[in-house]
Amino acid sequence: MEKVLITGIAGGQGRLLARRLLENYEVCGADWVPWEGHPRGVSVHAVDLRKKKFEDVVRTEMPTSVVHMAFIRHFRGDPRRRHDVNVRGTKQLLDHCANYGVQKLVVVSSSYVYGAFPENPFYMDEDHPLSASRSYPEIRDLVEVDTLAQGFIWKYPHIRTCVLRPVNVLGYFVHSAIGSYLRMERIPTMMGFDPMMQFIHEEDVCEAIALALEHGLQGVFNVTGPGQVPLHTAIRETGGKALSLPEPVVRPLFQRMFNWGLWPFPPGAIDYLKYPVTLSGRNFIEATRFRPLFGLEEIFHSVRR
Amino acid sequence: MGLLSGIGRIGRDLAGAVLPLQLRDIERELDDRLRKIPAQLNEFGYDEFGLSPDWIRRSILPSALLYRLYFRVETFGIEHVPAGRVLLVANHAGQLPFDAAMLNIACLLEADPPRIARGMAEYWVPQLPWVNVAATRSGQMVGTPENCVALLEAEACVAVFPEGVRGMNKLYRDRYELMRFGLGFMRLAIETQTPIVPVGIVGSEEQQPGFANLEGLGRALGMPALPITLGFPWLGPLGLLPMPVKYRMHFGAPMEFGGSPHDEDGSIEPKVEQVKHAIKELLDRGRAERRGVFR
Repeated sequence: MEKVLITGIAGGQGRLLARRLLENYEVCGADWVPWEGHPRGVSVHAVDLRKKKFEDVVRTEMPTSVVHMAFIRHFRGDPRRRHDVNVRGTKQLLDHCANYGVQKLVVVSSSYVYGAFPENPFYMDEDHPLSASRSYPEIRDLVEVDTLAQGFIWKYPHIRTCVLRPVNVLGYFVHSAIGSYLRMERIPTMMGFDPMMQFIHEEDVCEAIALALEHGLQGVFNVTGPGQVPLHTAIRETGGKALSLPEPVVRPLFQRMFNWGLWPFPPGAIDYLKYPVTLSGRNFIEATRFRPLFGLEEIFHSVRR
Repeated sequence: MGLLSGIGRIGRDLAGAVLPLQLRDIERELDDRLRKIPAQLNEFGYDEFGLSPDWIRRSILPSALLYRLYFRVETFGIEHVPAGRVLLVANHAGQLPFDAAMLNIACLLEADPPRIARGMAEYWVPQLPWVNVAATRSGQMVGTPENCVALLEAEACVAVFPEGVRGMNKLYRDRYELMRFGLGFMRLAIETQTPIVPVGIVGSEEQQPGFANLEGLGRALGMPALPITLGFPWLGPLGLLPMPVKYRMHFGAPMEFGGSPHDEDGSIEPKVEQVKHAIKELLDRGRAERRGVFR
């Protein structure tokens, strides 16, 4: 049986993926924090990806496949530490994959790396430039991670490396930026803006990762769900209350509140509430025949408030 | 709140009773036509590009009244608009894009099946609050080549005005003179193998006669142009509103072009000239038929 190593296994998406892959693979995982009550047969190592101990994990576990999704996505801590964990952690992981005979690698990036801009075409394919750091410098580490992984494809063509960029992920377990935004008491939106947004269910993200492993995909792929709706429809359908605010007032205000730790998102995130970041998932569908199981209504119902 | 909504409801009922029959006929017709547009909607009523027929239904009445009662638009040859992908190429004039709005209504009310003419908006439109939502819901998109190709591949009807602002702000003495055409639309038509239907719009060129265009000053003020017309700037923004000219829209036979979309300008230009010539002929026909600017 093939053995797969999941980094970030203790996160919501990681736990789901571990259970999903357990049917067909021997599963082990690494995470910053331990996973209490993990299923039997899964070995979980509480390590820092940047440390020597993680290299020992890869050396002793000898996985044939690796799924990388150990990223800090929130902005609560020191931004320098976040950058180091995400970028250097990824770099270390890539080195270990090259050195210890890993055959397949899936790196889970996101749709945010494209950036939200007024001139965005409605469906961006994988060749579209990753410009997020132009207006949202706080997530440049995620852009760098994506770019590192792309470079790895060229350097080690014998390793089947695949970068997945799923759209906004929602579900019971996953911790996503869009999920914590939609679970707010009063959800701030920008007055006069209502961009179209794509969503995908967490189980379908697991399915997409499993398909990428199964097919040994190589390359960069957008992963899209069942469709798109305006932001306000998503807020209504997940049972939230929108609070429409004028952007010229909100932007400086959110900057201050973010600096003081009273607000979880940097002001660059505001652009994602104004302009569409809609991806074309055509290439992934053609390569894997992927079809999302969960429809939009089910996705919205899965958001627990 | 209860009181307010109660008053609102009474107001609506009264309006419904007083509303002239003609108005209600137009509303019913619009409903009927909107039901027949070939759009694939998701369970929340949006198509893949953010268009919402429901939103159009609620906001289209003023334009439809302009179409029927103010400009009294007549269309000729609209059966040339095919059911699948098509690029409508028309002349552009009149300081404000009423010609684009009337072309949209014509495609909705007169074409068979009814079509939503998708417009390609300027790059700054998505940055305007409310305007961006209205544009998306009614089927307009930012005019990037990617968007145009995506629309045509989804078998949409896309309306373009290759004269751009050069046409919109043309002077009265240049009326029915076609300004320089951009070449982009032809490359996109060739790339997606889309038939081009030329459209000659008679009327808009006289709706707001311009005598000068102080482009430099306008740009300094952050506007795409600064026209001096019969009404503007003397009467303020209201001075840009059009006079009740009569619109005549002539649709020509579909034109198909081969070749490569990546050819040099020199081989694209003659094809664009053919389209320009077709529009010119349609305009001449429309002007010959009419008895006056307002009739």
